[in-house]
Amino acid sequence: MSRAIVFSEVPQLVAELVTTAARVADEVHVVALGQPSAASLDGVASVALLTADAARPESFVAAIAARVAAIDADVVLVGATVTGWEVAARVATVLGVGLVSEATALRRVPGAGWQAERVVYAGGAVQTESWSGLAVVTVTAGFAPAARDVGGAAPVQVVPVEVDARVRVVSRSVRPHEGVDLAHATRVVCVGMGLGSVDDLAIARGLAEALDAEVACTRPVAEDREWLPTERYIGISGVSVRPDLYLGLGVSGQVQHTVGIREAAVVVGINTDPNAPLFGVCDYAVVGDLHEIAPMLTEAIRAVRSGGAVESAAS
Amino acid sequence: MCVKWVASASDLLVDPATRTIDAGRAHRAISEYDRNTVEAARVVAGHVGGDLVGLTFGGPEATPALKEVLARGADRAIHVVAPQGARIDGHVTAHALAAQIGRIGDVGLVLCTEGASDTYAHETGPRVGELLGWPVVTNVRELGVEGTTLHAVRVLGDVLETVECELPAVVTVVPEIGPAPIPGLKALLGAGRKPSEQVPVGDLGLPDHALMPRTTVTSLLGFVAQRKRIRIADGDAREKVAALMSGLAQEGVL
Ligand SMILES: Cc1cc2nc3c(=O)[nH]c(=O)nc-3n(C[C@H](O)[C@H](O)[C@H](O)COP(=O)(O)OP(=O)(O)OC[C@H]3O[C@@H](n4cnc5c(N)ncnc54)[C@H](O)[C@@H]3O)c2cc1C
Ligand SMILES: Nc1ncnc2c1ncn2[C@@H]1O[C@H](COP(=O)(O)O)[C@@H](O)[C@H]1O
Repeated sequence: MSRAIVFSEVPQLVAELVTTAARVADEVHVVALGQPSAASLDGVASVALLTADAARPESFVAAIAARVAAIDADVVLVGATVTGWEVAARVATVLGVGLVSEATALRRVPGAGWQAERVVYAGGAVQTESWSGLAVVTVTAGFAPAARDVGGAAPVQVVPVEVDARVRVVSRSVRPHEGVDLAHATRVVCVGMGLGSVDDLAIARGLAEALDAEVACTRPVAEDREWLPTERYIGISGVSVRPDLYLGLGVSGQVQHTVGIREAAVVVGINTDPNAPLFGVCDYAVVGDLHEIAPMLTEAIRAVRSGGAVESAAS
Repeated sequence: MCVKWVASASDLLVDPATRTIDAGRAHRAISEYDRNTVEAARVVAGHVGGDLVGLTFGGPEATPALKEVLARGADRAIHVVAPQGARIDGHVTAHALAAQIGRIGDVGLVLCTEGASDTYAHETGPRVGELLGWPVVTNVRELGVEGTTLHAVRVLGDVLETVECELPAVVTVVPEIGPAPIPGLKALLGAGRKPSEQVPVGDLGLPDHALMPRTTVTSLLGFVAQRKRIRIADGDAREKVAALMSGLAQEGVL
């Protein structure tokens, strides 16, 4: 009889982790903070509801580790959020076990323990890791569909616990957030640091409008320049997209970024540098100034979409 | 300040047929974002009047990390040396780093980057904090120390969380903490004169289980992009746009 323990501070991730856990273990146990709702999910054997006075999820590490030991789990699955990364690493350390961060595959090898795959070198390679005994594995959102709420009634045990209150939250603020769903966009116009100024975003927006595309960006455009909200940046630490068309304007194409566009059907790069790394991983490499090319491209697309024919390259 | 010596992801040679990786000729340096962390550490150490110690753990090939971290502003540097070719995972790394930090004594603050450019496992900082029994604050983009209190702003997706705790503590930072200036010639020359030290990991007095990796890498395969790579470089802008338009029309994505 094998047992998996699932933890995430995000209810949606709990439901997804339950699905993943049920694929590799006979019994799925959930450790929850204030969300007994997991008890009604398909495949959940028990819920331990850890309770303490107004505490951040990171302060429950010792209690979560104790729960893993009490259940005698074979694997611990944690949702890969910033909070989850910390909880997973610290729980693994308390238990003296391995951690696989952001697994892209997880399986039991009959008679030989466990195997997981993960991306390393920011997407440059895939690494298989093997182990026997207990390990903690983090899994990103979207790895598996959420377990269905079947109105089940798994036993819920309320466990009052001591928490580590040494880190105090002083305040929280929410950064600009539009709720855009880039991951499912069918077309994406992505701007990089090659964009001259924040006003030039109008160029990308014009092109995006002509194409019915979403505007996306690279990490520094969002995090350093703050020209677009962080939910719009693509890459290993941002969003992965799978559009029919990705158009990168002034994007150099470092692997940390391009790992997020691997599932795109057609990739176009527009860059002044003929040696831009993006040109090595794209379908159409246009060497040129985005400020010149993109507005012309917008016009050409508008013309075609309003019924005109594509002008021949030779004319 | 913990820095990791890594092979650059953009230099890995991948055999397109077998997908095996040759990292032998890849450029090596301290992990890209560790440079931002060193600079942030230098600023904090300067503010509190403390010494900045650069610390790395790795095989003999990691020795140049000492010079780089010194050139970037560390006052001294320590390389905990693993035997050539030793198997290392996050568990082993954290034990080695935590044990060495314990030996330095009087450490108020340990900084790691949130993730390393090769593993990007986000585990080392929290693991070290847990082993030392110190508070852990991850994903920090603004950092300050007043007296013995740490103030930090964490990034959790769209949420910015301001936290504080008492020192000593372990903090992991994101590169947005600030830029990493390129060291000048003077800094590079000065680095050779600052103290640095190599400590064999066996000298740390760690029990066997601490140096026994928990996971084993059983395969490493490179990624090969399947793309058309059609180059549109000739002619003026209008001609390039026309060439791209006919390509996009053929793809059926207009
Ligand atoms: C651990 C780690 C995680 C990371 N995660 C991410 C991530 O999730 N997402 C991400 O995007 N990045 C990520 N990065 C950063 C990544 O390595 C690159 O630094 C970043 O993607 C570069 O952004 P950029 O292409 O906009 O800027 P740059 O690299 O500065 O490129 C700008 C490009 O614009 C071109 N250009 C300049 N002017 C023009 C013009 N007029 N017309 C056309 N082209 C022009 C230049 O030739 C250049 O190629 C990560 C890095 C690390 C180490
Ligand atoms: N071998 C090492 N020596 C020193 N610091 C390390 C080592 N491995 C990881 N670190 C630190 O931990 C960070 C995150 O690494 P990781 O947990 O592997 O993503 C790195 O950027 C370094 O700051």
